[in-house]
Amino acid sequence: MGRLLRLAGELLVTCGVIVLGFLAYMYWGTALRASSAQRTYTSQLTRQWSAANPLAALAALRTIAPGTPFALLRIPQFGRAWQLAIVQGSGVPQLALAPGHVPGTALPGQVGNFAVAAHRVTAGNPFWSLPSLRRGSVIDVETITGTYEYEVTGRPAWISADDLDVLAGVPFHPAEPARQRLITLITCDPPWTGTSRVVVTGVLVRTLPRTPGS
Amino acid sequence: MYRWLWLRLPGGPAARLVQLVVLVVVVGALLWFLVYHWASLHLPVDPSGLG
Repeated sequence: MGRLLRLAGELLVTCGVIVLGFLAYMYWGTALRASSAQRTYTSQLTRQWSAANPLAALAALRTIAPGTPFALLRIPQFGRAWQLAIVQGSGVPQLALAPGHVPGTALPGQVGNFAVAAHRVTAGNPFWSLPSLRRGSVIDVETITGTYEYEVTGRPAWISADDLDVLAGVPFHPAEPARQRLITLITCDPPWTGTSRVVVTGVLVRTLPRTPGS
Repeated sequence: MYRWLWLRLPGGPAARLVQLVVLVVVVGALLWFLVYHWASLHLPVDPSGLG
């Protein structure tokens, strides 16, 4: 009986250590992986943008493979150095490394809704501070064609996890035709859960075309 | 379990300690780089996305 109890105790302690290790991995391990991927994506984009024929690159934007980086996201309110590459796709493998463009929504600068999802926690906590954005906060998206400056149009909205109307050309109004060039950033709330989402919407206010050599 | 393992490691206490540390590092690396990575992609810990 004593030996069985000791064995059970050792197994339970071992399981506890493994679970604690997993929590540490979710917080630090995923952040390290995402940070390494972001360095690779950023240098890949910088190389492409300085070398590629802009027209050819623009054509390639129409058929971006899942997991491919194609834009840089900057939110000055989160810090001068805050910059993340956006990849195509919003599945688990993509969001583990970067914010992801939700397939089927508009591309940066296009009429419609450019929707980007990212983790609130894990993978470096990319959208941890999303609920702090307010009307007038700036969101910059840089692509091969230029930089698109969006301005947040209101306070963050909290919606249920299955409310996909947020992805419509006019968020929350799926029947309305899109007329504006919008951006929607999406993450989960409360952190560590998937029960609801917090979303921030912005409208394009300025476009800075890329000049040769910039 | 750990006592059983300790008794079956060859050598004296110092050699056993070294082997135990190596074993812990190997198991830890397997967990960190393979098992935890796999689990992080398959467990719905933070399903922020709209995948």
